[in-house]
Amino acid sequence: MSLFSLFRTRGLSLGLGITLALAGCQKELVPSVSLSVNTDIPVNTQITPDPTAESTIAPFRIKVDQTMNEVIGQAPVALEKGEYESSLGNFVADLSRTQVMAVYGKPVDMGGMTNGGLRNPIDQGPITVGDVFELMPFENEMMVLTLSGATVQEMFDFAARTKILVIANAAYTVRNGKAEAISIGGQPLDINKTYTLAISDYLANGGDNMGFLKKALKSEKAGLLARDAIMKEIQQHTAQGKPVTAQKDGRVKVIK
Amino acid sequence: MPEKMNRRDFIKNTVAGAAGLAVLGLPTLGTAAAAPIKLTILHTNDMHSRIDPFPNDGRKNGGMGGMARRATLVKQIRAQEPNVLLLDAGDIWQGTPYFNFFGGELEYKLMTQMGYDAATLGNHDFDNGLEGLQKQLPHAGFPFLIANYDFSNTILKGRFEPYKVFVKEGVRVGVFGLGIELAGLVADNHFAGTQYLDPVATARQMVKTLREQEKVDLVICLSHLGYDYKYNKIDDRKLARQVSGIDLIIGGHTHTFLDEPEKITHADGHVTLVNQVGWSGINLGRIDFTFQRKNKSKTAATASVLPLNDRVIIS
Repeated sequence: MSLFSLFRTRGLSLGLGITLALAGCQKELVPSVSLSVNTDIPVNTQITPDPTAESTIAPFRIKVDQTMNEVIGQAPVALEKGEYESSLGNFVADLSRTQVMAVYGKPVDMGGMTNGGLRNPIDQGPITVGDVFELMPFENEMMVLTLSGATVQEMFDFAARTKILVIANAAYTVRNGKAEAISIGGQPLDINKTYTLAISDYLANGGDNMGFLKKALKSEKAGLLARDAIMKEIQQHTAQGKPVTAQKDGRVKVIK
Repeated sequence: MPEKMNRRDFIKNTVAGAAGLAVLGLPTLGTAAAAPIKLTILHTNDMHSRIDPFPNDGRKNGGMGGMARRATLVKQIRAQEPNVLLLDAGDIWQGTPYFNFFGGELEYKLMTQMGYDAATLGNHDFDNGLEGLQKQLPHAGFPFLIANYDFSNTILKGRFEPYKVFVKEGVRVGVFGLGIELAGLVADNHFAGTQYLDPVATARQMVKTLREQEKVDLVICLSHLGYDYKYNKIDDRKLARQVSGIDLIIGGHTHTFLDEPEKITHADGHVTLVNQVGWSGINLGRIDFTFQRKNKSKTAATASVLPLNDRVIIS
């Protein structure tokens, strides 16, 4: 379609003209900019896919689809992320702890997950292998960190301040952006004790600005990918005939 | 030839535009008779390996995106416009199984087929480490521009340029790239040895080099800094305010959907536009510049063609 025929069908309309000329008149070319009505053109279902691109994609797509379309569970309600705690955040933080415990062979005090690492919600309906890949695309490995009580306190303060970190098997109250009344496994935080935390290597290495985790007294690989932990949890739910559900459960209280 | 047809169409466009202005009672163009030159910037950011559209099953953004559709759109616009630059602001990778399975090969191949002119690096482009980038670079038939990462102590030494000058009908367009601070965002071992340089100082140097040495007519920054942070972290808006001489910042990282570019006006009247088009290739950004060939005598002043809205709707 030529521009001219577009004019016939859509008529002329004036864009916004902005002179971008710099002071000083030596320049021979003076730019002005035309902002279209919409400067973001939607890439939607009305556009026919380019055949060359399609044929490039085809062999890759076949390999991906074979694996990804397998349904491994059902979510009656979507799991979404949110501030402090959320259905999706709680689900992943909790399973991070329990699935790591299963391979680690010992109890772990806490699990942790940040919102930044949850790349997609778990949508309502069937959950496929592909959905889990989109939720957790990273090849992150699960770690078990041993932390001093002081570092644990720092972690809860971080969670209270940034609202991005969900902690499993723990509860706390946020007042003026600070964490108080911290309990772990139902017991108050003891600053003189050490605690274990199941968390991804990305976060253990200080990702999402959690540099304080680098102060871990001990750092062990659990031998489990973060994505495989999620996959196993969903598959176990399904094997037991249970749907995949999770709720905000009040582990974080916020006092305004 | 298509090039020539487009040129003629464009002249019609301009004449019709001048007539339109007269009708509205705005001043018509003076004696600046030489045909203006039009440049169309198309851009994406944070495509995150979204090769196929989001499944059209009622989910958020369902049915949107898709690189083969974007290829169609780009082809159509290239057939209509004489001078097109197709640019990306980083985070090409990570987000769908295509990346997990093939490490970014398909993303780079499709971008090459689509004729991307340049891209910058986002933090997720380091997700398979420097080795992961090194492995896939042969599939990218377009340059990565990055001015504030120094790779000289890494295996990627010499693989990237800070900027590139594109020449379209004599119009010189300088494009440079800026990346976000990687520490704390990317696993340490995935970028070890890469030195992060201050984006503001780097951008000032880039503008100076491009304007004074390369004599460019337009300066574009591909930025993966992010659009806007409430706290004291450099972002595109702060960059636009602190650095003069950039005409357009094409941003990324924060997945920000802007209805239209933000205009930041400097004390000397120069305007920096900041744009970002969400993520996952849901939208293709488009900004059209018109260059008026000015008489060297100062009488022509800053008269410029009031451009037409030629937004392309695909029906």
